[in-house]
Amino acid sequence: MSLSRRSLFASVSALAAAAALPRFAFAADAAAIDAPKAGGAVSVHLAAEQRILNPALRASTGVYIVTSKIIESLVDLGADGKPVPVLATSWDATPDGKTITFKLREGVTWHDGKPFTSADVQYNALELWKKHLNYGTQLHLSLEAVDTPDAHTAIFRYSRPMPEGLLLRALADLGYVVPRHLFEGTNPLENPANTAPVGTGPFRFVEYQRGQYIIAERNPTYWRKGFPYADRIVWRIISDKSAAVAALETGQVQLSAYNQLALADIDRLRKDARFEVSARGNEANAFNNTLEFNHRRKELADVQVRRAIAHAIDVDFFAENFLYGTGKRATGFIPSNSTAFYPGGSFPYPYDTKAAEKLLDQAGYKRGSDGTRFSLKLLLVPNGEDVGQFATFIQQSLADVGIAVEIVQLDMAAALSTIYKEWNFDLATGWHQYRGDPAVSTTVWFRSGSPKGSPWTNQHGWQSDSIDTLIDTAASEVDPAKRRALYAQLVDDINRDLPIWFATEREFVSVTNKQLKNHHNTPRWPSSSWYDLSL
Amino acid sequence: MLLLRFALQRLVISIPSLLLILIGVFILLQFAPGDTVDALLAQIGGGDSTLAEQLRQFYGLDAPVTVQLGRYLWRLAQFDLGYSAIYGKPVAEVILERLPVTLLLMVSSLLVAVVGGVLLGIIAARKVNRWQDTTISTLALLFYATPSFWLGVMAVVLFSIHLDWLPAGGLEDIGGGLHGWQRAVDIARHMILPTLTLGLIFLSVYVRIMRAAMLEVATLDFVRTARAKGVSENRIVTRHILRNALLPLVTLIGLHAGTMLGGSVIVESVFTLPGLGRLAYDAVMQRDLNTLLGIVFISALLVIVVNFMVDLLYARLDPRIRAKGH
Amino acid sequence: MPVLRRYCRNPSAMLGLVILLAVVVLALSADQLFPRNPLALAGRPLQWPFASPRFWLGTDTQGRDIAAQLFHGARISLLIGVVATSIAIALGILVGAVAGYYGGVVDEVLMRLTDAFQILPNFLLLLLLIAVFGSRLETVVIAIGVVSWPAPARLTRAEVLSLRHREFVEAGRLAGLRDLRLIFGEILPNALPPVIVYASVVMATAILLESALAFLNLSDPNVPSWGNLVGQGRAVLRSEWYVCALPGIAILLTVLGVSLTGQGLNDALNPRLDEQ
Repeated sequence: MSLSRRSLFASVSALAAAAALPRFAFAADAAAIDAPKAGGAVSVHLAAEQRILNPALRASTGVYIVTSKIIESLVDLGADGKPVPVLATSWDATPDGKTITFKLREGVTWHDGKPFTSADVQYNALELWKKHLNYGTQLHLSLEAVDTPDAHTAIFRYSRPMPEGLLLRALADLGYVVPRHLFEGTNPLENPANTAPVGTGPFRFVEYQRGQYIIAERNPTYWRKGFPYADRIVWRIISDKSAAVAALETGQVQLSAYNQLALADIDRLRKDARFEVSARGNEANAFNNTLEFNHRRKELADVQVRRAIAHAIDVDFFAENFLYGTGKRATGFIPSNSTAFYPGGSFPYPYDTKAAEKLLDQAGYKRGSDGTRFSLKLLLVPNGEDVGQFATFIQQSLADVGIAVEIVQLDMAAALSTIYKEWNFDLATGWHQYRGDPAVSTTVWFRSGSPKGSPWTNQHGWQSDSIDTLIDTAASEVDPAKRRALYAQLVDDINRDLPIWFATEREFVSVTNKQLKNHHNTPRWPSSSWYDLSL
Repeated sequence: MLLLRFALQRLVISIPSLLLILIGVFILLQFAPGDTVDALLAQIGGGDSTLAEQLRQFYGLDAPVTVQLGRYLWRLAQFDLGYSAIYGKPVAEVILERLPVTLLLMVSSLLVAVVGGVLLGIIAARKVNRWQDTTISTLALLFYATPSFWLGVMAVVLFSIHLDWLPAGGLEDIGGGLHGWQRAVDIARHMILPTLTLGLIFLSVYVRIMRAAMLEVATLDFVRTARAKGVSENRIVTRHILRNALLPLVTLIGLHAGTMLGGSVIVESVFTLPGLGRLAYDAVMQRDLNTLLGIVFISALLVIVVNFMVDLLYARLDPRIRAKGH
Repeated sequence: MPVLRRYCRNPSAMLGLVILLAVVVLALSADQLFPRNPLALAGRPLQWPFASPRFWLGTDTQGRDIAAQLFHGARISLLIGVVATSIAIALGILVGAVAGYYGGVVDEVLMRLTDAFQILPNFLLLLLLIAVFGSRLETVVIAIGVVSWPAPARLTRAEVLSLRHREFVEAGRLAGLRDLRLIFGEILPNALPPVIVYASVVMATAILLESALAFLNLSDPNVPSWGNLVGQGRAVLRSEWYVCALPGIAILLTVLGVSLTGQGLNDALNPRLDEQ
């Protein structure tokens, strides 16, 4: 049931005219107030400049928060967490999992007027997602061809079984479609459409002023009739966190998502009646604070030492005092809000300094005359201010059990290069983002074989054939129940061997001005298309 | 004609320094751990090694250092500043977009600093050791000692958050669709706090210099002569003292040009202004060599130009130099 | 000594000295008053000053005692100030003396080098050096020193130039003294006073530069420097602004002390200005 703007205005003005009517008119009035008003401009906080505004080439929340209003994906996630049709209206997989057929939506046009067809999907899948999109290259490793028997059908053929659940959950993030007629024959990385995106979405790109703002306005030929409600969206680029909070408090900006603000400010704004501060609308995303071990250090190659380190750090204390309630201790590498995969259970190494000391003594590293057993270098990947705090917390906790830790602070590029390319670290801490399914970006932390220099993969000098096999099997297991069991086993194995520790489980928090309505109503809302957002 | 020769002379002398800087910065950045592809991968949240290889080839980072330096210098000789990795645009375009904001910030800060410094310095010197002098001198010292970022941040907390008199950051209200005069006023409002933050530090230096210079000049023979001849105090100040007292101040402006550009990095960061300072910081963090070298080039040129203008001003103010026919 | 007497009669100079001594006392007494590691977790984070009897000045975002960090930080700030300044002055004197004494091509080359360093905005160069060599305290201090040497070099050169042709130098040359002895034995002792006074300016700038780096989270996180506190406090600026304000005041007072002392020295050495 869609409301056209005209009919909406008509009903509101009719009700206003009927204000003199008796009591039952109030109920109608209330309904009118709750019904979305059309019009208005929405201001959004964007913390980092984006080089390439193309979600078919770049999979990151920073890109989605802008481009997903302009460019759409084959599917999105609905309020219940299950995939809902967007550009794809239905899908069907063969029992062997190697062929998945998508029926595409009809009557959809690109912002420049040309029709959206299966040829676009074919081009995107084979040339962009498979060749250039980070995490897409891995997902579609076994994609062989995309057949297009007609303009509204795309058949994906894989050489290895592709679990339907994995593909659909991943496509919400990794299935954005850009126009073939603008990209074919060009070098996709240099294409001007990367800074002036064209898509099928509810908003059209207007302007990108470097260092200042991006503007998009209502698309009058959007295929969802009657939407979008808002007239325009303005993304203000504010990289300084205190400036961003100031902008939010003075009303210059109405929404800040994905923890782009300082945690202390997020906590303070919870008590401000003007804002809604919650993790609602972010259920599909979770992230962790990691503690990575370099197994090339002989002390860290010993699993007892790693377990001792886990025992020595009071993650609950850290979460309570430094994360302002936006995180808790993780039980394993799958977050508790991943309903399809969370196996439950508890982390086998609770906070216990005595146990830690015992394990370290057993492993043969007694305290020296100055109380130190050995020293380690801890590198941090500065994703957020909590990473620095966790690093300090680790330093202090390990000092209590006799391990001296020196923190090495580098900027992002240097940190990634030093850890993942030069392997010049003992401990490292940063973020890991879980993208709905362990196979998308999580198992790559455990599996061997990633080339040197790939950030956020297993560059730790540790390998286990059994775990490699388990990961590969689970990635191609078509039966969802069996798949779930395989990952549950992987969680147990990883917790037992602890090659890397996902210490905390964190939620993304958005701060939204209550002026906005119809927001955060899907599980990955800041990355969704906002077609029903209103003021 | 003399002026042109003077100008060319200055320029020619500066070229070796300029080259030194460019080559030095280029070589220095080669030693930085991580390159622009690492920064890009960091920004997009990961990627595999084939992607990294592709990108490195695309940005020409797989060639040896000497070749890269050679390519860069050759392009520079043709006035081509290269292609920015961060923005996917020619560096010249990126810099031209951001230059006006930084220039606006620097010019207004300089104006505030110089005009304020001169006026307050004169007042302090005229009322030496009285309460006006003490207040001004103390405030000047306090502002000099205050870290600029602290001043900026506290100013935002006071004037934006608690008093809501001035905007918290940015250059202008976007989506408001203002034009012409209204837009100019809007930008001016946004620039008040950043200008004061950057300018007050230099103002404090100029106040003290002005005061000291005026006090020193006032004791010189020719002033005493003028006073003896019965010339009015005001005339003495404006015609004789001021001219000479301005000389050390003018020299300082030249020396401070570079420092002001550096200070704009912090101010632009705190107030989210889209200027060159912030661009330089981003270029260092993202290892975008071309953009960084472009900014270094432009700021070096700016400093040279400012020093040149300072020399001209100095020559006008000091008749002895003009007499020597420099 | 007339210089000392003139210094003591100057109220602002004495104030500067008092402040500086207070900072030194802070630094020296840090171990007595706060024997625990100032960077160790001491209590609940973000407690306000005077709220708890254990933490007079409250705790920071990591639950560390702010008062302890202020006291121990005094040592770090003085260290940074003194070492960076020494490096800058030493480099500056070397370059300036050689350029001023020998003149000619040597002078030209060294002056082009000095020009290069002065044209490049010093904060930018500092950012570059930190990005390349890292954020350890030693690196930060050396980087600040390297960025600050041009002004002392010019000053030294100007002084050496003016002294080069004086009679006592000529006499020394005629007496057969070697160049090095002339420079270090005769010229420099007379050229140095203004440069030493300028050292106070360099020191003030060094402390401010380090705190600016820490504000951008580019300084060494393993030492309790004031700048690091300010950098941390940035995240909680709206609500717990004292985390930024207290070390900011400490930096302000120290820089004030250094500047006043330097100015006092300058005035004491140049009596003309003192006759106002």
